[in-house]
Amino acid sequence: MIRFRLERRETTSRWLPIFTTIGAVLVALLMGAILLAYGGLNPMVAYGQMFKVGFAESYSVSDTLVKSTPLLLAGLGVSIAFRMRLWNIGAEGQLLMGAWAATGVALFILPETTPRFIMLAAMSIAGFAAGAFWGVIPGWLKAKMGVNEIISSLMLTYVATFFINYFVFGPWAVGGFPLTKKFPRNAWFPRLLDWADAIPFFRGMTAHIGFFYGVVAAILLYILFKHSKWGYELKVIGDNPEAARYAGMNISRTVILTMVISGGLAGLAGMSEVAGVVHRLQENFSPGYGFTAIIVAWLARLNPLAMIIVAYLFGGLLVGGDAIQPAGIPLMIQGMIMFCVISAELFTKYRIRIKRNAPLTEVSHG
Amino acid sequence: MTAEYAVQMRGITKRFPGVVANDNVSFEVKRGEIHALLGENGAGKSTLMNMLGGLYRPDQGEITINGEAVYFSSPRDAIKKGIGMVHQHFMLVPTQTVAENMVIGASTGFWLSPKKLYADIAAVSERYNLPIAPDAKIWQLSVGEQQRVEILKTLYLGAKILIMDEPTAVLTPQEVEKMFVTLREMTKNGHTIIFISHKLDEVLSIADRITVLQKGKVSANVAAKDVNKAELAKLMVGREVLFRIDKEAAKPKDDVLVLKNVSANNDRGLPALRSLSLNVRAGEIVGIAGVSGNGQHELAETLTGLRHVTDGVIEINNTGIQNQPPLAAIDQKVAHIPADRNGMGSAPTLSLSDNLIMKSYRAAPVRKGWRLLNAVARNTSEDLIKQYNVATPSIDVEARLLSGGNLQKLILAREISAEPTSIVAVTPTRGLDVGATEAVHQRLISERDRGAAVLLISEDLDELLSLSDRILVMYEGQIVGELPPDEDRIDEIGLLMAGGVQEAQA
Amino acid sequence: MKKLVKTLSLLLAAAFVLAACGGAPEAPPEPETVTVTGFDGSEIDISIPQVEADKTNVAFVYVGVIGDAGWTYAHNQGREYIEANGENMHTAYIEAVPEGADAERVIRSLARQGFDVIFTTSFGYMDPTATVAEEFQDIDFIHISGQKKAEPNFGNVFGALEEMQYLSGMAAGAKAAEDGSNRVGYIAPFPIAEVIRLSNATALGMRATCPECVMDIRWIFTWFDPVKEREAAESLLDAGATVIITGADTPGPVQAAADRGYTGIAHNSTESCNGLEDSCLGVPYWNWGPVYLDIVEASVAGTYTPEDYYGSVADGMVGFLGFMEGEEPLPALPTEVIPLIEATLADMEAGLFTRFDMFTGPINNNQGEVAIPDGYAMTQSDLEGLSAGYMDAFGIADRPACEVCMDFLVEGFDETAEIPPLN
Repeated sequence: MIRFRLERRETTSRWLPIFTTIGAVLVALLMGAILLAYGGLNPMVAYGQMFKVGFAESYSVSDTLVKSTPLLLAGLGVSIAFRMRLWNIGAEGQLLMGAWAATGVALFILPETTPRFIMLAAMSIAGFAAGAFWGVIPGWLKAKMGVNEIISSLMLTYVATFFINYFVFGPWAVGGFPLTKKFPRNAWFPRLLDWADAIPFFRGMTAHIGFFYGVVAAILLYILFKHSKWGYELKVIGDNPEAARYAGMNISRTVILTMVISGGLAGLAGMSEVAGVVHRLQENFSPGYGFTAIIVAWLARLNPLAMIIVAYLFGGLLVGGDAIQPAGIPLMIQGMIMFCVISAELFTKYRIRIKRNAPLTEVSHG
Repeated sequence: MTAEYAVQMRGITKRFPGVVANDNVSFEVKRGEIHALLGENGAGKSTLMNMLGGLYRPDQGEITINGEAVYFSSPRDAIKKGIGMVHQHFMLVPTQTVAENMVIGASTGFWLSPKKLYADIAAVSERYNLPIAPDAKIWQLSVGEQQRVEILKTLYLGAKILIMDEPTAVLTPQEVEKMFVTLREMTKNGHTIIFISHKLDEVLSIADRITVLQKGKVSANVAAKDVNKAELAKLMVGREVLFRIDKEAAKPKDDVLVLKNVSANNDRGLPALRSLSLNVRAGEIVGIAGVSGNGQHELAETLTGLRHVTDGVIEINNTGIQNQPPLAAIDQKVAHIPADRNGMGSAPTLSLSDNLIMKSYRAAPVRKGWRLLNAVARNTSEDLIKQYNVATPSIDVEARLLSGGNLQKLILAREISAEPTSIVAVTPTRGLDVGATEAVHQRLISERDRGAAVLLISEDLDELLSLSDRILVMYEGQIVGELPPDEDRIDEIGLLMAGGVQEAQA
Repeated sequence: MKKLVKTLSLLLAAAFVLAACGGAPEAPPEPETVTVTGFDGSEIDISIPQVEADKTNVAFVYVGVIGDAGWTYAHNQGREYIEANGENMHTAYIEAVPEGADAERVIRSLARQGFDVIFTTSFGYMDPTATVAEEFQDIDFIHISGQKKAEPNFGNVFGALEEMQYLSGMAAGAKAAEDGSNRVGYIAPFPIAEVIRLSNATALGMRATCPECVMDIRWIFTWFDPVKEREAAESLLDAGATVIITGADTPGPVQAAADRGYTGIAHNSTESCNGLEDSCLGVPYWNWGPVYLDIVEASVAGTYTPEDYYGSVADGMVGFLGFMEGEEPLPALPTEVIPLIEATLADMEAGLFTRFDMFTGPINNNQGEVAIPDGYAMTQSDLEGLSAGYMDAFGIADRPACEVCMDFLVEGFDETAEIPPLN
């Protein structure tokens, strides 16, 4: 008789989480393959097509960059809060507010003739500030009144959705349609295709400088996490708030500051979407980037540099998802990857042991 | 089958990355005996007992319980075989009640009857004379009360073999005596007790047999009646040990720590300090004696800015710090050696280096503008680790992996290296072995001699007597008496601790 | 850490490469579309949207899912019609494409793959389609429900569903009179000209069979939201309506009416009332197939020129369920109204009673003021409500602006009904 049982690991190697993550992705792809094969579709063809569209075509890099930009920026935002075990799951709302503020600046505050640099800088600042404001509300409530930030940040996402809808259906709507008019050209992020005349290869390539924002933010955060006073305080508060208080750290202030940056980056993600891709504000312009960003942040294990790669790969997965129809199929595969990665967390803490009847002839399968 | 031995561990070896914690250890305990396991921190006592308790699995060797070979893959397996463990670090859920904690791990079925549960708990606590309120939340309890819950819990879960890790550290001498009576009673009822300790006097008075571990190996296995204190200490440390600290008479100067009529509440919102006044001068050690739960914890927290006062004034270096953030006390160079090393004194999953700069990161040389200089932090940490003899393979190790003694050395290194004007030390040697205790004591005295005002809150009367220049006894949030550190007056101190105010003053 | 990150990405990429190398190069023998039976017994085609050599390749971009039994379902019927009736045609689709961030990318990727004709079937795709059409001038782009067009390859298509709504109104009016409630409820998605036109046509139809009837309206600000649609229906029923007409996508409102023993009229596709036939009076639906095939064939022949194509029942682009070829009137319909509807439909098919006749003055608004003066027939621009502001915002330059714009509710609506403010 053989029994399987889970045993808690005594030590965890630093490599283990990385391998389990990769393993989980592979298992998910395998499970997806079995389901596809059951459906009669050669999984190799399906995956091949997903890979081709997401990564391997000449324009894939550009398309995937576009898709991964909001994931990267919002994912970085989420990861900062998560690092101090502050569960800001309201990145979507912060992203919406960032987009709203950037739109307001581009269409209603600055004149159309504003020079591009000033216009984009003003939009970036407004986007960051609005996201930060939306992030600081749950932060403040948490710091001063102990309100659970999971609930408050999520609820504020709904508030943000209705807030945006008020504007796109109401004062900012065009002809009754739930969208604003297009931004003036000066409020568009530079895109690769802007240089298509000089470099024909860039024709139709819509990658914009938003991704560059993300890379810069990732590097800055990496430096801040590793080398700054704030990064250190974040680490201590996240690990043991009681010890942080004992060490004289101002937890409230750090929580609020962290939520400012966390929300601000999500806001920047929203700004970058409207300035780089949509060029207007409209209902449902974000297909839940703020929520997907949470997944990206987890997959990257909150490491800002890893986030660049994970966001890119995840963006490719989303882009490649269009290669199989109906849309439920790739969604299922993406969901399976999530499920496996989260399940695999278990194996970083436990090991499976095969137990036979004789107690002293154990075989360990770590 | 009635085997002679309750526990037999043979040829046990356990390795951790970089360390052999147990090297071919054999350990045998007869049924119904009280067996002491003695050793310095890091000698491998906890590792050995964690294997018996099902938390770890040996790399080599075998374990038999009552003659039956066993294999434990979780604490549950061990509990099933009647092994209960009272840990040095409490394994309790702070946000739940005593009763709820008691049933974690119990096979009670799906439905719980609170009434029956409370009755059962009351019965167990009465039988072993360990009073406790079943509906109190764990976080509201003092360290001593939490330990009581741990002991009760193992008994409630039906343990026949009790492993007790430093069980007396938080008790008054009278309580220790009572507890010993309880333990002897338990052995008569067929319980077997493994008693981990470093307190040689206690071990000699309670244990039937003693196994001594030194650096992961068994250095002795003797009957208690065949050894004396000095011999045991030598077997443990591998050298002669000084039991009494030689110190010069204190030369106190100006007041550094002053409390005037301070009142404060505990976590339950009940008064814990009642108009308490005291002062500590530069260059003296003032000891606070008292049974755990009489406001010592709150006293330490108000002094370090961690707890608000409802009334009164706290002056450090003539600056009022009451109801200021903790940073105000830190700025006045108050060092704090907290009772809860894991919960408050350290960030468990951060590196030793990160833990060591927790108080110094705000200023040069570690800080430079917005940056923390990692190289400086590392160098400082390396120096401190050496200077304070923290045994660790590197400064990148997570703090939670340090043994109690090493963690305390780390905290001491951090707190004392800042050259504080005053030190609030709460049970600083709880759970430490003789070697580490000696080191801590030496440090506190040299700090005193340097001119620091030291407030020593301890439940270990020996420690208070040997270190303090004055002893204040605390009872129900007040100072009820001041005595010189005279061993002849230990009974008087004990009476004051128990609330016998009038008699003592008579 | 950097090393780890590198390993991670390499492995992940390797997994994809492995998958790609395993199958992609020798793909042709594999079928590109397979049919599996879903858990609910329905058949699902799994497909990879890519071009086939030596065929005319047609792609569709859908805003919803093909299983919605509504707007997207109707377009997918059109796609299947091309595949079944066209010569040497291959079709593909991508569903559930959000109108914001993804539309332009998806349309462009189809163009890059080399599809010959691309249909984009939601209003929000108008600007993205225009953008991509400019980049790929050898591909024909057809946008549905907009007004933009550009030489040489970007046109738009829409049709007079309002004519079918008029028939809905006739059916509903007769039924409400039979019920004795004289009250009909209308669920309107957005306060835009298209929706107002359809609502007004319905109210006019209702008054044709039941001059005493009053129409109540609820604005739900969504095209597809089962919960909101149902809530709106409940609200209308609570206010006394016994016939519910929905201008949104799901059959939920009809279900809500059926649950109280009343009837309703669904929207968009022949399947919209499936399972509710006993409580359904009819469905004004789209029949895109023939027009789509004509456009694709013109494109293949090189004769397609961008235009504002506005179909009608005369060219078979729209229909009213129960009255078209091969259909039987639904059982819940009062028998006496059937010949009236048949006669009106015949006039429409013959061009004797078109949308322009329907909206010829004098017509008052629901406040009793003149909305369309006596003798004035609304123009196409009037019907589409092409205000100068709207055309300016969307860059439509080649259409005359409306004079009597579609921004009022006609007599027949409850006096208190109003259009939420437009900007």
